[in-house]
Amino acid sequence: MRDRFPPLDWSLAFATLALIGIGLLTVYSATYLPGAHQGLWVKQLIWFGVAAAVAWFVASIHYRFYDSLAWPLYAVSLLLLVAVFLFGVERMGAKRWLEFGGFQFQPSEIAKIATTFVLARFFDHARLDLRKIRWWFPPLLIAMVPFVLVAKEPDLGTASSFPAMLIAMYFWAGMPAGQLLLGLSPILNVALFFLTGSVWWFVGLFAGMLAFARPRLIVLVAMVALNGAVAVTLPNMWNHLHDYQKRRIETFVNPEQDPSGAGYQVIQSKIAIGSGGLTGKGYLKGSQKALAFLPMRHTDFIYSVVGEEWGLFGSLTVVLLYGIVVFRGFRLASIARDGFASLTAVGITTALFFHIMVNMLMTIGWAPVTGVPLPFLSYGGTALIVNCIQIGLLQNVALRRREY
Amino acid sequence: MPQGPPQRDKDTRFGALAAIGLAGFFLVVLGLLRLQVLQHDELSRLADQNRIRLDVLRAPRGVIRDRHGRILADNQPSFDIVFRPAPIESTLRVRTVVASDWLARVSGAIDADSVEVRRKVREANRTGQTAILRRTAPYAVLVAVEESRSELAGLDVQVAPIRRYPEGVLAAQLLGYAGEINDRELTERAEKGYQLGDLIGKTGVERKYEEVLRGEDGAEFVVVNAMGKRVTTLDDVPPKPPVSGRDVTLTLDLDVQNALEIAMAGVERGAAVALDPRDGSVLAMVSKPVFDPNEFSKGISFARWKQLNSNGAFPLLNRAIQSAYPPGSTFKIVTMLSALNQGLVTATTHEPTTCTGGFYFGGRRFGCWKQEGHGNLDMVGALQHSCDVFFYQLSLRLGLDPLERTARAVGLGEKTGIDLPSESRGLVPTGAYYNARFPKEHWPRGLLLNLGIGQGELLTTPLQLATMTSVVANGGRPVRPHVVSGVQGVPTFKVEHPIEPGVQASAETWNAVHLAMRRVVEAGTAGAVRLPGLAVAGKTGTAQNPHGNDHALFVCYAPADAPTFVLAVVAENSGHGGSISAPIAAHVLKKVFLRDSTATAPRLPRPAAADTVGD
Repeated sequence: MRDRFPPLDWSLAFATLALIGIGLLTVYSATYLPGAHQGLWVKQLIWFGVAAAVAWFVASIHYRFYDSLAWPLYAVSLLLLVAVFLFGVERMGAKRWLEFGGFQFQPSEIAKIATTFVLARFFDHARLDLRKIRWWFPPLLIAMVPFVLVAKEPDLGTASSFPAMLIAMYFWAGMPAGQLLLGLSPILNVALFFLTGSVWWFVGLFAGMLAFARPRLIVLVAMVALNGAVAVTLPNMWNHLHDYQKRRIETFVNPEQDPSGAGYQVIQSKIAIGSGGLTGKGYLKGSQKALAFLPMRHTDFIYSVVGEEWGLFGSLTVVLLYGIVVFRGFRLASIARDGFASLTAVGITTALFFHIMVNMLMTIGWAPVTGVPLPFLSYGGTALIVNCIQIGLLQNVALRRREY
Repeated sequence: MPQGPPQRDKDTRFGALAAIGLAGFFLVVLGLLRLQVLQHDELSRLADQNRIRLDVLRAPRGVIRDRHGRILADNQPSFDIVFRPAPIESTLRVRTVVASDWLARVSGAIDADSVEVRRKVREANRTGQTAILRRTAPYAVLVAVEESRSELAGLDVQVAPIRRYPEGVLAAQLLGYAGEINDRELTERAEKGYQLGDLIGKTGVERKYEEVLRGEDGAEFVVVNAMGKRVTTLDDVPPKPPVSGRDVTLTLDLDVQNALEIAMAGVERGAAVALDPRDGSVLAMVSKPVFDPNEFSKGISFARWKQLNSNGAFPLLNRAIQSAYPPGSTFKIVTMLSALNQGLVTATTHEPTTCTGGFYFGGRRFGCWKQEGHGNLDMVGALQHSCDVFFYQLSLRLGLDPLERTARAVGLGEKTGIDLPSESRGLVPTGAYYNARFPKEHWPRGLLLNLGIGQGELLTTPLQLATMTSVVANGGRPVRPHVVSGVQGVPTFKVEHPIEPGVQASAETWNAVHLAMRRVVEAGTAGAVRLPGLAVAGKTGTAQNPHGNDHALFVCYAPADAPTFVLAVVAENSGHGGSISAPIAAHVLKKVFLRDSTATAPRLPRPAAADTVGD
C-alpha cells in the first residue's frame, strides 16, 4: 500500500505547505491597504509556483550528483559573493543583491547551500577523526570564507548561519561535545564579556568545561592560552575604541538603547504582537499593521502581523509548524544511512532553524534586528525559492533514506 | 563507502539537536506568552496611543464692532502648516527631530528657517502639543506640503481661524492685536486651558477682553497612521464642537475715528482722544505712529518686530493712555477753576503785577510766552490769552494743596479706569512728593509757579486731558471713560466704583470758566477752531519738555452750551498748540458737527514756524 506513494516525508511537506499558505494570507493582509505594495501576494503566489517546481526538480536528482558537484558549486558561489562587492545593487546601505536580466537575487543564499554540500562532503571523509585537531581546521576555513564575505555586505544575520551550520555539522560528524565546547570557548568568552562586563563569569564556565571535556595536554594549553589572550586584550581593546565604535557595538548588543533606528521597529513589533492578545484582532483587522506603525510588515516583521491578527493561538500554530519542519529535518538526518545525505540534512535544517530563531526572537524583542526574513512566510522570491530548495533537498534525503 | 557515525551515537546526537531545537522554540513561546498574555493590556494601550490622537478644533474669537455695528475685528480662515507630535510613548518623535533629512525637507517645503522649525518641533515633542510651523501659508507652500506630506512624519495642514482687522491701522492701538501665545503667557495661564499655538489678546481691547473674546476650543479624536496622517474620526467618542467667543461692541464711532485719523495724518508722534462727556464713551482714539494689527495675525518675524520697536517710535504704544505729557497751558483751566472755587478771584479780578513779558520771583525771572507782554488782564482774559504772568501770581496765592485737590477732582494724577490695559496714571505732585525730594522739607515756592501753568513735574495722558475737559464741560460731574459698551448685544458698561467726586462749584464759577474757554476760541489763542455755526470752547497748550521741541496740545468741547463732544489732542515736539493741534480739532469738529464732507486734513505748519497764534 505504502509503496504506491513515493516515500516523501509527508508531515514535513504538509507543514511546509501550511506555512507557505499562512505566508500568502499574511502578505495579502500586510499589503491590504492601498499603497505601493498592494497586490504583492500575487507575485508571491507566482514565486511559490516557481519554487515548487524547482524543489521538485532538486528532490528528483540523486544527492550523489550534488556530492560530486559540491566543490565547483562552492567555487561559483564564492565568485558570486565577490561579484556582489563589484556589481551588487545597494539597498538601504547594504550590498546584498546581484541583478541578472532585471531579476535580483542574493548570492548568499546560494552560498549557504553550496557550503552545506562542501561541508557534508568533507565530513563524510573515510578517515575523518574529529578528535584530532588537524581535522578541525579545513571545515572552519570552508565556512569562514563565505561568512566573512556575507558579513561584509553587511548581512550579519545570514552570515551567522554559516558558523551555526558548521557547529551543528561538527557535532553531527562526531566531534566530542566537550571538545566542541572548548573550541567555541573564545566566542563564549567574548559574548559573556559583553553581556556581563566581567571576565570572571567566563573563567568559571571555562573551568567547568575543562572538567567535562578532559582534553589532552596540548589542547588544554592551547585553549587556556587563547582564552587568556582574549581575556587580556578584550578590555584593553574596548578601552581603546572610539566612542562611536563602542556605540555601534552597544547598539548591536542592545538595540533598544537606540530608539531612533532598530529600536523603533522592535518596539512597534512588540506593540503589534502584544496588542493581539490571545485571539488576535482578526484577519485583515490589525490596526498597527494597517496604520503602518509596523515597519517592514510584509517582509522581516511579518510574524508581528500574524501575532497581531491571529493572537497567541495563531503565533503558536506557526511555532508548531516550524517545530515540525525542524524536528523532521533532524529526524531525516538520523534516519538517513548515507553520510553525505545525513550531514546535508543537518546543515540545511540547522540553517533553517537558525533563521527562524533569529527572526522570531527579533520580532519579540529578544534578538538584535539583523534583517533576516522568516522562512516561507516573508515576502521575497529568492528566499522562498531557496527555502523550497532546502525542503526539496530534505525530501531528496527522505526519498533515498534506505540507500547506502 | 563510509558509514558515517554509528547509529546508536547518531540517536544520541539527534536527541541533543532536537533538544536544542525544542529549547529554541520554547524560548519563542515564552516570549509570546510574555507579550500576548502578561503585557497584553499595556501593549494594547500603547497600540491605541499609537493610533488615536486628540485634535483641537480652534474656536473663532468674538467679533469687535463699533457703536453702529460696523466690524473692526473678525476672523478669517488660515491654512497653517503644523507639526503634530507622535504620542509620548512613541519613539517616532525622537526620530523626526533627530533626522536632519526631515528637517531639511520640511524647512524647504514651507520656506522657513530650519533652526526655528527645529526649535518648534522640539517644543512640540516636549509638550505633546501641536506646533504651528508656518501660519497662513501661501498657496505655493500648501502645494509643496501636500506633495511631500505622506513622506514627512507629523507634518500636516490645519485650518484655523485667525484675526482679521478690516480697517487695518484704524484704531490699531485701541483694538490691540491677537497673536500666538508665548511661553510666559502659557505658564501664567496654564490652568485656564491655554495651549501652544493658541491665539491670545496681546494689547488693547483684545487683551482686556480676552476672557470674553476667547472662544472655547473643541476637540475630536482622530485615528492616525504611523506618519501622523489622519485616517478617520474615531466613532466611539463624538467630537466636541468649538464654541466661538462672544462679540464685543465698542463705544467707538468709525466716522469720528476716521475723521480723527485723517486729521492726525500729519502728526508724526502724538495722540488724540474724543469722548462723549455725558457718559465717558470713547468715540475715537488715535495714537501715532500706527501699526497694522493684521501683520501680527499672520505671525510676525523677529526682524519685523525689531524694526517696529527700533528708533523710539514704538507704534505699539498707545500714547493716548500710556504716554504722559506735561499738560502745559491746558492746565490753566484747573488753576483758574481752583482759584475761583477758593474764592480768591472772580471773573473780573486783576492780579497786581501787569504782564510785561516776565515776572520776578525769588530772584529769578519767570517769562511769559508773549515776550512783549499782555498788559493788565482780568481772570477771563488771562485764560483767553493764556497769560503766564497772571497765572504765576494766582498760583502763588493759591498754594499747592487746593491746586492739587482740584487737579485730582477733574481726574488727573490717577488712572481714569478705562477698560484698556497698561494705562499710565500721570503725575500730580503733592506736598509729600516735594517734601521727599527737597532737604528739610523746604521746597522752593518757585515750583508752584511752574505748576500753575502746567509745567514742572505735572504729567497727564491725552485721555486724562479729555477726562478733565469732560468734567469741566459737565459742570463738575465726573465721567469714567470706557471703550466697550456691550457684549453680545447686552450693555455691560457700568461705573464699577465712583471715581473722583467731581468738582463742586458755584454756577458763577462754571460760567466764568466756560466763558473763558469760549473766548479762547472766539478771540484767543485757538482761532483755528472758530467755526461758523458751532460754538466751541477750548484751551491751547504748548508744553516744554526735555525731549526737544514743544508738544502742541489742545483740548475742547462742543457744542459749548450743551456739550456732547470732547476732544484732546497732543502732537509731540511739533510746536504751539494753537497752530498745530487746534487745526486738527477744527477738522474733526467740522466732520462731526457740520457734516462737512469737503473738509480735508489740516496742513500743519512746520514745527517752530513763526508764531503768531501763540500759546
